Amino acid sequence: MVDLPETGDGQEGRALDYEQAGPMAVRMLLGARLRKLREAAGVSREDAGYAIRGSESKISRLELGRTTFKLRDVRDLLDLYEVSQDERATLLAMAGQANAVGWWQDYSDVVPGWFLPYLGLEQAATLIRCYEVQFIPGLLQTPDYAYAVLTIGDDGIPGPRTERRMHLRMLRQQILQRPSPPRLWAVIDEAALRRPVGGADVARTQLEHLIEMARSSHVNIQIAPFSGGSKAVADGPVTMLRFPEANLTDMVYLEQQTSAIYLNKPIERFYYWNVLNRLATEAAPPTDTAAILDRIRREI
Amino acid sequence: MDSEVPSSPSTKIDTTVPVSARIWNYWLGGKDYYPVDKEAGDQFANIHPGIFETARSSRYFIARVVRYLAGEAGIRQFLDIGTGLPSHDNTHEIAQRVAPDAQIVYVDNDPLVLAHARALLTSSSAGGTDYIDADLNNPGALLRIARDKLDFTRPVAIMLMGILAHIGNPTEDDDRAVQAIMGELKAALPPGGYLAVYDSSNQDTDLVDALAKYNESGADPYRLRTPEQIARYFDGLELVDPGVVPIEHWRPDHTPFDQPTRLSANLGGVARKA
Repeated sequence: MVDLPETGDGQEGRALDYEQAGPMAVRMLLGARLRKLREAAGVSREDAGYAIRGSESKISRLELGRTTFKLRDVRDLLDLYEVSQDERATLLAMAGQANAVGWWQDYSDVVPGWFLPYLGLEQAATLIRCYEVQFIPGLLQTPDYAYAVLTIGDDGIPGPRTERRMHLRMLRQQILQRPSPPRLWAVIDEAALRRPVGGADVARTQLEHLIEMARSSHVNIQIAPFSGGSKAVADGPVTMLRFPEANLTDMVYLEQQTSAIYLNKPIERFYYWNVLNRLATEAAPPTDTAAILDRIRREI
Repeated sequence: MDSEVPSSPSTKIDTTVPVSARIWNYWLGGKDYYPVDKEAGDQFANIHPGIFETARSSRYFIARVVRYLAGEAGIRQFLDIGTGLPSHDNTHEIAQRVAPDAQIVYVDNDPLVLAHARALLTSSSAGGTDYIDADLNNPGALLRIARDKLDFTRPVAIMLMGILAHIGNPTEDDDRAVQAIMGELKAALPPGGYLAVYDSSNQDTDLVDALAKYNESGADPYRLRTPEQIARYFDGLELVDPGVVPIEHWRPDHTPFDQPTRLSANLGGVARKA
């Protein structure tokens, strides 16, 4: 562990546990810090790119934490920005950690490439807000339900790949069992709850699992009933991840059938923040969740 | 349960006018605000640059007050009226660190604040948290719901942190409206209960100018009050030392760092009902 450099000017956020959060968070933090240092030094992206034998867009990618760091590049940038010896040591140590391989990379053979960054980001988040229309959110699925969902997407023949994908989904869920877990704020459409994925028994057990999970103080589930008009604002699932540092912006993740979009421009963040806020204010309050889930469970 | 709440505020989130809870979140370095709030917050700060520091010292004042109430004063029931959006170190987190069995009931009437409070101001401590959707302009209704959630035969602390500036009817005497509400709240306070308040005084000309501009924006107006008006909120109660003072001077923690040199125009205090 290294001391966390002062990267933000806000008070929000807890210290980030690198070991828990994984290299993605370290990359984002290091990138954000490098951007602050570059701006403070009055260096353009283009000039910084030139100093590390690269382009303006290479600097952009580095500063967003989208790529691994070469130690030589980081060293050259710190020279260019005239960073103090103390901070150099810390940032170079971070660069070393940022290149560590996340455990989820082991699963790159069974999940599409566009999903891997999400896995890294989800591990680093302190708040996960999501809206799901079709299925129960992955972080709240039981193994049997997950298995059923994964075989829908497949060719219908479960094989070793399905097993591995299910195992990955269960590993993802471990973030909710951490000593200081992220908060999960999920709005689930009633349609997703009533769809008997995997058959009635699997669906009922899944609903009981949701009731159980909603008891945790860090898991908040709200149900958007059929009667709600709010759903018009979202035509598919929306996930928004928040990270602990004040200068790391929220990330919006939109998953589609064969790809995913990652958004974090201010206008996009505001748009989807508003979508999630509308869904949450119009959905039933969390105090009603257990009763609604129990009613649906009995009706299946 | 929230479903029995009689008030019926709109569930609509207005993204076209600035809302104070969201602007405060922006000033505090949070991430929960709309472009309209950032714009209003920046415009305000152009005239009154000290507002960022004021936002922080206000949170810090709340933290010291809650620590005092849960600690030295032994309070286990808190009614926090005008919750605002979740921030770093919310009332229940501070109180339950001192006393895990402390119960905190948050009150607000903004749909966005309530949705966030219900989702995020939750606790695994013995005392737990609860929420009331009510308007301080109708203290009778607010107190009726509060009595279902807290035991008013035992000491309760009522907190009004930076919220009273929203009270007032331009066609009436503002002071009479706010003092009448305070009268009802103080009457409901059980013996041994506490009132904790901070409010913005009209002693800073930059702040007066910045607010005049803000109040033209279509936002719910925010009213500054004289130090005498703020002191009168506590009439009939026993003020805890050091009385009603600039919030930075209220029981500051001993720190190796310098105390802030610049004082905000916020005055605050804590008082006990005999």
